[in-house]
Amino acid sequence: MALFGELFLSEIIKKPIFDPKGEIIGRVKDVMVVKGDPLPKISAVIVQRKGQHYLIKWTAINIFNKRIISSFLYADAFEQYAQGEDDLLAVRDILDKQIVDANGAKVVRVNDIRLEGYNGTAVLIAVDVGMRGILRRLGAEQSSEKVMKFMKAQLPHNLISWNYMQPLRPELKSIALTVPRQMLSELHPADIADLINQVSREEGAQLFKDLDIETAADALSELMPERQAEIINSIDTEKAADILEEMQPDEAADVLSDLPTERAKEILEAIDKEEAEDIQELLGHEEDTAGGLMTNIFIAYPSDISIAAAIGRFKKDAEELESVYYIYVVDESEKLVGVASLRDIIMADPHAPLSEVMKTKIKSVTPDTNDMVVAEIISKYNLVALPVVDTDNVLLGIVSVDDVIDIILPPSAKRGRRKV
Amino acid sequence: MKRWKSFLLFLTVMGPGIITANIDNDASGITTYSVAGARFGYELLWTLIPTTVALVVIQEMVGRMGVITGKGLADLIRENYGVKAAFYMMLGLFIANFGNTVADFAGWAASMETLGMSKYIMVPIGALAIWMLVAKGSYRFVEKVLLLACLIFIGYIISGIMAKPDWGAVAKSTFLPHVKWDAEYIYLSIGIIGTTITPWMQFYLQSSIAEKGIKKEDYKASRLDVIIGCSITDIISFFIIVTCATILFPNGIRVNEASEAALALRPFAGDYAYLLFAVSLANASILGAIIVPLATAYYICEAMGWEAGIDKSFKEAPQFMGIYTMMIVAGAVVVLIPNAPLVFLMVLSAVVNGLMLPFVLVFVILLINNSKIMGEYVNTKSYNVISWSTVVVVATLTVLFVLATVFPIA
Repeated sequence: MALFGELFLSEIIKKPIFDPKGEIIGRVKDVMVVKGDPLPKISAVIVQRKGQHYLIKWTAINIFNKRIISSFLYADAFEQYAQGEDDLLAVRDILDKQIVDANGAKVVRVNDIRLEGYNGTAVLIAVDVGMRGILRRLGAEQSSEKVMKFMKAQLPHNLISWNYMQPLRPELKSIALTVPRQMLSELHPADIADLINQVSREEGAQLFKDLDIETAADALSELMPERQAEIINSIDTEKAADILEEMQPDEAADVLSDLPTERAKEILEAIDKEEAEDIQELLGHEEDTAGGLMTNIFIAYPSDISIAAAIGRFKKDAEELESVYYIYVVDESEKLVGVASLRDIIMADPHAPLSEVMKTKIKSVTPDTNDMVVAEIISKYNLVALPVVDTDNVLLGIVSVDDVIDIILPPSAKRGRRKV
Repeated sequence: MKRWKSFLLFLTVMGPGIITANIDNDASGITTYSVAGARFGYELLWTLIPTTVALVVIQEMVGRMGVITGKGLADLIRENYGVKAAFYMMLGLFIANFGNTVADFAGWAASMETLGMSKYIMVPIGALAIWMLVAKGSYRFVEKVLLLACLIFIGYIISGIMAKPDWGAVAKSTFLPHVKWDAEYIYLSIGIIGTTITPWMQFYLQSSIAEKGIKKEDYKASRLDVIIGCSITDIISFFIIVTCATILFPNGIRVNEASEAALALRPFAGDYAYLLFAVSLANASILGAIIVPLATAYYICEAMGWEAGIDKSFKEAPQFMGIYTMMIVAGAVVVLIPNAPLVFLMVLSAVVNGLMLPFVLVFVILLINNSKIMGEYVNTKSYNVISWSTVVVVATLTVLFVLATVFPIA
């Protein structure tokens, strides 16, 4: 009725299971897993006998170790078992599948599962993701160990504690812990994007759904456009809207422009009105132009306010901005008249008007300027951001150097996914 | 991982079909077609049509799995049939593809010698260039090199047209099947199927389609791409056979290797045909030598759950870098060692390929009929009849080919 010590799942699969008289009831086919505290535990053993499957509840198990498995009951006491989709079976649903090692931020494959006795139950304590697991299942663990010993080397154990395991499949969610989800959110968004890139589309979407809104928004902007669209398409409208709101409007517009028109409209309607307007403005531009690259969130003040007033306003306004380097100066009809770097502002006399420190020789482009031309201008004049204006010189937005770097050198996760 | 990913993404963006067509006609394929054309003239051309049909039937299923699951074939085999099936499959793939790599380096060496360059200089340069290209090269550079490499395949079509074949006779042999009860004839006709439908192509195609992230709704476009790709493969094969059949066959010249064909063409068809043939062979070989080791290392690591990626060091991804480097280094070295068992390796590779193919195809059919994986996209009943018969015929022929390779009929 209990498991003492530890064993691997592969050590009991296909093992005979005996009744009290020592007759073979059948052979172990799989084990059913349910949520337990603190770790998931085995609730039943699935036994195969003459092509039929039977279910033996954990309470009917007498001895359970790697040499002997037996039951208190006889073969005729067990009910036939039809594999249900809702049940979680260790061999069928966990073994050989990919999971995320939240500790190492890697996608790994489950080669074996380690079980341990705990208060009379058998709990899933760790997954084996190393060479040992593969060799054990090929029946070559011991011989390999001997070979390695002969070569004066060791065969390393490579186990990931269940505490760090983040599942990629919906059925595993019921027994997953909350710890890895939190650990995942603490990773750099670029690393999360890398993880999503390493698994199939459905699994990637699954992983994404577990992230909180803020992390999800950051991770999404690191993914390549097709992947972004797929993921946003696979989650419900409300959450998609929340995530897009969290993103910079230019990035949100990029994501929306890759979606089917109907779906994009639906999400846009769910987004906060003000944010939605910003995004909508940007949606009209071709992707490979200054208009497609720019964001319409920037700082622009009238020329007659004082430096001190500008700094005061800046402290409030800059809160929602990702990064800001320049304060633009506009006239009453929002035409661009000057620009001042933050450095200029801080160094200047606080009582002077903004018009005194601003530079009036400004490089700017129109929204239909080709993206490579934008990159050339930014590179040539060593700018951190380049203003985009319409034909009347009205300031529409800015293209930052980050946006330009992404064209020249796409972020790794944007470029593609594993495999051939 | 990063550079490798972008490198492969580039390949897939062009349409997996074109790439498939290009790398399917590797050094050993070109050899088979050259030999077939020189030995039997146009007589074997008709085999290309059933071969194309079989190729389309099989690759359509593989492509469909890639679209629907978004996973590679190695992934699906591991997840559904366990570590043992995956392990032996990968072991077979490794042996067969090592043979392929050696064949590609041998093709490179032979074409360089044909062009008057020493293989002892060109093979190490080629191997080093391949290793550097992927491990250290800039992404954009790799992109340009491969794009150019894919275009060079047109060389075969040009040389076929330049040979001025008797198009009436070509058409007749292509569309009217003609079986000759001659051991060599049958061996070569099965050989054409064997070099066209290989296990590793199925892994390659499925992964590249999964990689491309084609949506279920766009599956029809992807199917068209597969059909066009299969056709291109065999159009190139067609022109290789036509060239050799038009020029070498009437003059009674027999060849055993693709590079011999290039040399033999020179006195009859002039320098251009010779150059086109030699350069195309060099190109096909080097393209194979780039992609085969990389893809093999990747599938194996994926199925086994090992860290993989080109920008990782030996310490971070020992298995991946080990397999990749070993295949290139050993492949190049084997070609350069005098009296190395080249023929043995080629035969071994052909045998392993032939033995693996039935298993791979059966896995493909079982997986594609699994509604848990494929949902509503499983085969229809009538399509199952077609696919099962194709698989049975192809598998039987390949096994026959293996037997004929191991026990040659005088």
